[in-house]
Amino acid sequence: MRRTMLYLPGNNPNMLTKGHLFGSDGVILDLEDAVAMVEKDAARILVSKYLKQGEFGGVEVTVRINGIDTEFWKKDLEAIVPMKRLDGIRAPKVDSAETVKILDEEISRLEDKYGVPQGKLKLFCLLETAKGILNAYEIATASPRIAAIIPGGEDLRADLKTERSMDGTELEWARRFVVFAGRAAGVDPLDTVFSRVTDDEGLRKETQFIKQLGFAGKSIIHPNQIRIIHDVFNPTEAEIAKAQKILAAAKEAAERGQGAVTVDGKMVDTPVVKRAEYVLVRAGLA
Amino acid sequence: MKTAQAGTLESMDCLVTLTEAAPGVGIKINITGASAARFTTAMTKKIKETLAELSVKDMDVAVQDNGALDIVLGARVEAAYGRLTK
Repeated sequence: MRRTMLYLPGNNPNMLTKGHLFGSDGVILDLEDAVAMVEKDAARILVSKYLKQGEFGGVEVTVRINGIDTEFWKKDLEAIVPMKRLDGIRAPKVDSAETVKILDEEISRLEDKYGVPQGKLKLFCLLETAKGILNAYEIATASPRIAAIIPGGEDLRADLKTERSMDGTELEWARRFVVFAGRAAGVDPLDTVFSRVTDDEGLRKETQFIKQLGFAGKSIIHPNQIRIIHDVFNPTEAEIAKAQKILAAAKEAAERGQGAVTVDGKMVDTPVVKRAEYVLVRAGLA
Repeated sequence: MKTAQAGTLESMDCLVTLTEAAPGVGIKINITGASAARFTTAMTKKIKETLAELSVKDMDVAVQDNGALDIVLGARVEAAYGRLTK
């Protein structure tokens, strides 16, 4: 599950040590925007050592590297790819399949060089430009490494020549499009961050909206945001009970050789069964 | 003599200052900070190990510690050395 992926500043030992203990599904050790230009070298070394030590519990561990338009990205990859506790790489400003190809080739080269199983490292692509959003499907299908696509927040707004609104109107189309592209490609659509860290009600409302669109989760910048997002994404007990009832009825029907069956007066067919299975996945019961 | 720094004085971090030393001087270490008295032995060991991995034999090392773990101390020494030799 990727309901919550928490950004941890890559040059902050306090957060790198404690960040995985707050209960998010994943952590993102950030070498990009959270690190000042003059500290890129120190952050890279620090993150590399934390990954080597490997104490992150059971969370999914990714690193946001610097963009391929910078002098840093190859050094970032060289420092992190060999380390045992790395699950994936979050790449900023991916705007075409060509960007994915460049990243994929370099990661493959380093996997070979350091004896890491080919394809072990997943790619999480940030689509932070209008071009990136429009190319979402070609990006999502450009490599078997792609695990997720994520619309940008501030960078995308800047590229669209607009500003942040309270209700996020300016990102609405991009969000819908990323869900379609991600689902069509079979990768997770993950939402951008909610930056008003003290606005719990606003976060809840936005999370309900993006869950309804079809997102699998959200990137976060503060541990306090985890509980609210999990509350929204976790199925209620009534939803779990209903899903279990549907799956039991479907199983019984299948054993009797029947295709469709009725539960509480409503027909249960394949899409309904799939949704019920997904409810149990989100509940951690499947 | 050239000098370089890495790290911060934030919680769980340390500020490492490396100053080039003349050949034959060896590794000189000065650790200050709240927990310096309790952990000097372990911190000295970590600093020497890290410098040995970098093939450094002579260096003046000053550490202002604010509760840095071993891996943080090692990372800061390595970063400071990278800056010193850049």
